[in-house]
Amino acid sequence: MTSIAARPANIAKPRSARKPARDHRPYGGYRTALWIYAGAFYAFLYGPLLMIVLLSFNNSEIVGFPFQGFTVRWYEVVFASPALLKALGNSLAVGFLAAAIATTLALTLAMAFRHQFRGKSIVLYLILVPIIIPGIIGGIVLLIFFGFSGIRSSLWTTVLVAHVNWVLPFAFLTLFPRLHGFDRALEEAAMDLGAKPWEIFTRIVFPIIRPGVIATALFSFSLSFDEFIRTIFVSGFDRTIPVQFWGLIVDELAPELPAMAVLIIVISIFSSLIGFYFMWRASRAAATYDRKAS
Amino acid sequence: MTDPVSDVSTPPTVAPAPEMATGNAAVEIRDVSKWFGEVTALDNVSFEIGRGEFFSLLGPSGCGKTTLLRMIGGFETPSEGQILIDGVDTAGAPPYARSTNMIFQHLALFPHMSVHDNVAFGLKMKRIEDNIVEQKVHQALELVRLEGYGGRKIDQLSGGQKQRVAMARALINDPSVLLLDEPLGALDLQLRLQMQDELRRLHKSLGNTFIFVTHDQGEAMAMSDRIAVMDQGHILQIGTPEDIYEAPRTRFVADFVGHTNVFDGRVSQIDDNGECLVVCGGLTFRCIAPTGLAVEQPVSIAVRFEDVTLDGTLGSADGTGCSATVTEKMYLGGMFRFETRTAEGVALTSDVTNSDAARLVAEGDTVNLAWRPTNVSVLLE
Ligand SMILES: Nc1ncnc2c1ncn2[C@@H]1O[C@H](COP(=O)(O)OP(=O)(O)OP(=O)(O)O)[C@@H](O)[C@H]1O
Ligand SMILES: [Mg+2]
Repeated sequence: MTSIAARPANIAKPRSARKPARDHRPYGGYRTALWIYAGAFYAFLYGPLLMIVLLSFNNSEIVGFPFQGFTVRWYEVVFASPALLKALGNSLAVGFLAAAIATTLALTLAMAFRHQFRGKSIVLYLILVPIIIPGIIGGIVLLIFFGFSGIRSSLWTTVLVAHVNWVLPFAFLTLFPRLHGFDRALEEAAMDLGAKPWEIFTRIVFPIIRPGVIATALFSFSLSFDEFIRTIFVSGFDRTIPVQFWGLIVDELAPELPAMAVLIIVISIFSSLIGFYFMWRASRAAATYDRKAS
Repeated sequence: MTDPVSDVSTPPTVAPAPEMATGNAAVEIRDVSKWFGEVTALDNVSFEIGRGEFFSLLGPSGCGKTTLLRMIGGFETPSEGQILIDGVDTAGAPPYARSTNMIFQHLALFPHMSVHDNVAFGLKMKRIEDNIVEQKVHQALELVRLEGYGGRKIDQLSGGQKQRVAMARALINDPSVLLLDEPLGALDLQLRLQMQDELRRLHKSLGNTFIFVTHDQGEAMAMSDRIAVMDQGHILQIGTPEDIYEAPRTRFVADFVGHTNVFDGRVSQIDDNGECLVVCGGLTFRCIAPTGLAVEQPVSIAVRFEDVTLDGTLGSADGTGCSATVTEKMYLGGMFRFETRTAEGVALTSDVTNSDAARLVAEGDTVNLAWRPTNVSVLLE
């Protein structure tokens, strides 16, 4: 009796089962190489970032090592400087507005691109051109264009236009797949149940793609917030954070530079991270939908 | 050659005179054609669907069933011809202005809404008062036996429950015509049969006109008042399930409806008593001659499996039987199916109810097959 009762326990933990199963994954033999590669990759990627963070807390008038002690005074300097705060405000404001405009335009374009129309591919190339034009050329082109048009360089004219122009293709590329993969039958079902075109958009299409729209807006903001080359050509007397930053580097290697850099990095990473979160939600929603449909 | 459209049998539920029929018909299709570029999806189709009918469009993939249904629902416009719903020409009316509702092939439930909001959508769009909406949604969920599921999200439902939500959502507007595009296609057999019952029950209790698209002849037979068999944009035959099953008019219909031996042959003799002989690959069939048949005319003949018996006594007259070897014997529950081959190499299938005689026949045995001339259909096309 006891021996029978004991048996299941023995069976449950046979010796061999404790050993990790030999895996037969492809490239399994290259594990060590992969680890070294990944280590180097992250060291190069995050090493400089880490260094900047350390420098921003370094109690030294000169930017550089050795580390002379921990301080937050460079952050105090940054937040006490009216010029820097002004630039930060400019960047945030232009970023928000450029993101809103580019996302709205991208959404409208993506809706239109679901239909066949003449010259569709030409319109697509025209939208995507700003991606492939080198930044410095883009800046010069914009400068000449605004000069000829007689538009004075300022934050709310030239800078905003330049940013929307730069951000739009990316916004379109993130948003279009969401709408292109959208199940038309849902719109037809809504129409069948009495919804007018505008109601179909507000009640069916938009709520379903909303995570994708939010992600697009956040990525657009990050792109605008970081934009430098095109901006410096057209910013006139107004300064965004990257332009202000550039000024500081050129004039003098100010000790508060690392602190400022950290601030910019934090804002960019933060908005991108939230963007990725919404992107993930959007694709997860699409995946569950596909599973249901099949 | 007869025109396949005018060749359809007169439906019992629709009055024969066209001027009367207009008043009775829920849907009237008049000379409708549809082209997608070079592709002809529908070719000059005309028929009527009576009020309160359960009408099925049956045909193989790509024959134009969905296209026809979508034109009735207003999602496509006919290239030619007219579609009348309740006697009114629908030309140009968008789906939201029609008294039709559709259950889509993949249901198209709104994934971001609860069951309740899905079902309520049609009423909300009509700006119905909230308390009436609540009441009707409650009734609709009760109708499809989903009481208490209102708060669920769509991805928390089983396949059958989703079907029911789709039904409730489409029926809440009390459409004059309910359009169903293979809504049961994705279900396993068990659930499929259950939902067929459910649809029949809903149709009986509500009395709306149902137009049901399917490529499953069994499903069409089981559910419909009338069936339209379609192929390549044409309607080949319209009739009750019995009509279609017992008197297929074309070779295609006989083949598609199934359980039928179909052979191509040639008329060899026409008798004064109205019978004729058709020779098909060495085997002769005696049949009732349709009017206008000529000797040497190429025709097809159809005999259903259960009309071919193993009882040798009937096969005495010329062309009413033959002997054949059993190549395969299958038990189908309640009956046996014998696949046989004659000496000339013609394959004939016979369904025999579960009798002692049938039980004793084994594969490899030689048997006498027999059929009645009245059970052999002559198909002219
Ligand atoms: N939007 C369209 N553009 C081009 N051709 C189309 C379109 N819709 C349908 N067709 C064509 O019209 C014909 C009929 O299509 P339809 O969808 O009505 O077939 P079906 O009978 O519903 O088939 P299934 O059983 O596969 O759903 C097919 O040849 C199809 O390729
Ligand atoms: Mg179809």
